[in-house]
Amino acid sequence: MRGWVRSVVAGVLALGVAVLAGCGSAAEPASGGEGGGSGEQPAQVSKLEEIKRRGYLIVGVKADVPGFGYLNPETNMYEGYEIDLAKKIAEEIFKVPGQVKFEPVTAKTRIGLLQSGQIDMIIATVTVTEQRKQEVDFSPVYYTDGIQLLVKKDSGITGLKDLDGKTIGVAQGATTRARLEEKAKELGVTPKFAEFPDYPSILAALQAGRVDAFSVDGAILKGYQMQDPSTVILPEKYSEEPYAIATRQGDDDLRDLVAQVITRMQESGELQKLQEKWGLTGQ
Amino acid sequence: MFDLEDWLTLLRDWRYFAEGLGQTVKASGLALLLALGIGVVVGVLSVAPWRPVRGLTRVYVEFFQNTPLVVHAFFLYYGLPHLGISLPVLAVGVLALGVYTGAYISEVIRAGIQSIHRGQLEAAYSQGFTYLQAMRYIILPQAFRVVMPPLTNQMVNLIKNSAVLAMIAGDELMYRADGWSSYNFLYRQAYTAVALLYLCLTLPLATVARRLEQRLLGRESREVPL
Repeated sequence: MRGWVRSVVAGVLALGVAVLAGCGSAAEPASGGEGGGSGEQPAQVSKLEEIKRRGYLIVGVKADVPGFGYLNPETNMYEGYEIDLAKKIAEEIFKVPGQVKFEPVTAKTRIGLLQSGQIDMIIATVTVTEQRKQEVDFSPVYYTDGIQLLVKKDSGITGLKDLDGKTIGVAQGATTRARLEEKAKELGVTPKFAEFPDYPSILAALQAGRVDAFSVDGAILKGYQMQDPSTVILPEKYSEEPYAIATRQGDDDLRDLVAQVITRMQESGELQKLQEKWGLTGQ
Repeated sequence: MFDLEDWLTLLRDWRYFAEGLGQTVKASGLALLLALGIGVVVGVLSVAPWRPVRGLTRVYVEFFQNTPLVVHAFFLYYGLPHLGISLPVLAVGVLALGVYTGAYISEVIRAGIQSIHRGQLEAAYSQGFTYLQAMRYIILPQAFRVVMPPLTNQMVNLIKNSAVLAMIAGDELMYRADGWSSYNFLYRQAYTAVALLYLCLTLPLATVARRLEQRLLGRESREVPL
């Protein structure tokens, strides 16, 4: 009997220690100002300085969203509107092109990676929300999208109102679910939700009949609709999703530089041109 | 600094995690029954005096022990519907976990049977028992005592492996933690809490296994004549 008690106590203690250690290390960078996290550098080094010393910019991008951030399997290169934006910003910092490294992120991983300093910024279809503003800094908006539904053509579904009791596949950590729940309540329907770690899983779930609709921002859906011609994007939009570049709170010099670049590209019409280049203008 | 407020947020949402825990217990419990059933049948057949049957049990054990559980779960979840068979996600979980763990349990049972002296089987035959009768009434009751500790370890593994269901929207503990944490940005709190909840399920089992093992060792040493 005593052995039983002892092993439980030991297990709980071990975990407790791990938790406390975790708390300690997480609290340190916050109290030490905006140090990059590595103890070697003096705490005063700004983010921009840190990036320049490193010699390249690390940007969290989507690898599975054609038109925005997509790792083209044929060339093994990242391409898309957001990739072009990242290249512009890197060029602004280093005055020469090509000093940028892309790190693939998902809706679930991106904020954590930014906060832990593993990436310098996120340009990965991040919707600006009040809640996220508490966690990260945002640049001016570079694209506005809306949540839409992708369904099978032969399903007969024409909008959210047809999805009462049916299942909608969404991405973990995305705002999609909360927005759709609001809209569904207004319409008086109660759909079920299934969350998946990435978009290809949701498309696979739709194809397998596991979910009746795949929902995320329209521009992201477009790429998947093209992959599977038996599906169709429904025209109704259920939200306004303003996309902006996220930087870590405290990295003020980097945030300001990013804001400058986006504002300038907006005014010169360069943003519009890039959107046309990637086919993102057809609403 | 201890972020009390974040932990309180987690406590406030305890019901969300409790429901996930319930689903984990349900999936693991049903899968365990399936795994034990498969394990005993396949274990007995894997030492049967019929060569083709032994061969078939080998194929089953080698296939499921040497391919990832995730692959089985994805096949059942995404693959089968294209053949017109769409199992609910709980059934996918029970089937994947049960058949996978069944392969391990059958090996445990086989080892247990082989640890019983051959004379027992011969004695049973001489009394007119068939192979299956001898197993049922003579060999398995003795083997079961020996295999209890490793069997319990397999139960622990099954519970831990049930976290794979999070990848196919299984709505169990790990899935709930994923969803909750990425919505609230409280990853450390969420995953610490689920680790503790998994421990609540597995630690008692692991401890029972150790106690059974100790009792077994104790009894055997007492059985050694002076």
